[in-house]
Amino acid sequence: MEETEAEEERQFSHRQRLKAAVHYTVSSLCNEVALDKQVQFNKQTVAAIAEVTFRQCENFAKDLEMFARHAKRSTVTTEDVKLLARRSNSLLKYITEKNEEIAQLNLERKAKRKRKPEDESSEPAAEVVDTET
Amino acid sequence: MEEMSGFPKELVSRILHLHFRDCKTKVSGDALQLMAEFLKIFVVAAVRGVQQAQAEDLDTVDVDQLEKVLPQLLLDF
Repeated sequence: MEETEAEEERQFSHRQRLKAAVHYTVSSLCNEVALDKQVQFNKQTVAAIAEVTFRQCENFAKDLEMFARHAKRSTVTTEDVKLLARRSNSLLKYITEKNEEIAQLNLERKAKRKRKPEDESSEPAAEVVDTET
Repeated sequence: MEEMSGFPKELVSRILHLHFRDCKTKVSGDALQLMAEFLKIFVVAAVRGVQQAQAEDLDTVDVDQLEKVLPQLLLDF
């Protein structure tokens, strides 16, 4: 009996920590918009947005899992995330573009990592070329 | 938008796994990054909606504005 209670408490505090982390990120975003538009958001509003975000995540997660399962996969992919964005055209467009950006960025990073070992073996050590005089 | 803070991948991963029903469900790295963007845009939409719903010249935005914006926000997402 005690074990389930301890387990429940552990799960509860895990949840609370995640909520706090979400609140922190939401707060940062609110501050950025506030600076940009010269308005202020009071604490309750920030907390309310954080709460709504955290709750929506439950729906998002369950949907993503369902989409992956529907496609007979156990790994959620970007295709599933895009499906999540289907309800608004502008949202879908934005997410699709972001997906391409991310894919492009990752490709470039991979290419850099592959090039690096070759560069280090062909160039002599620490000869600083002064290009700006 | 690139300079804006965002959701760390680790946080997104933990939140999603909290609600998955099957312990075998995983999330690809790209999907995590995309979800981080998705969540960021959700928050920004809420924040901007609240700020725009503010008709008067108030310096502070409160929960009333959020109540006006919430139905449409949830429909869009």
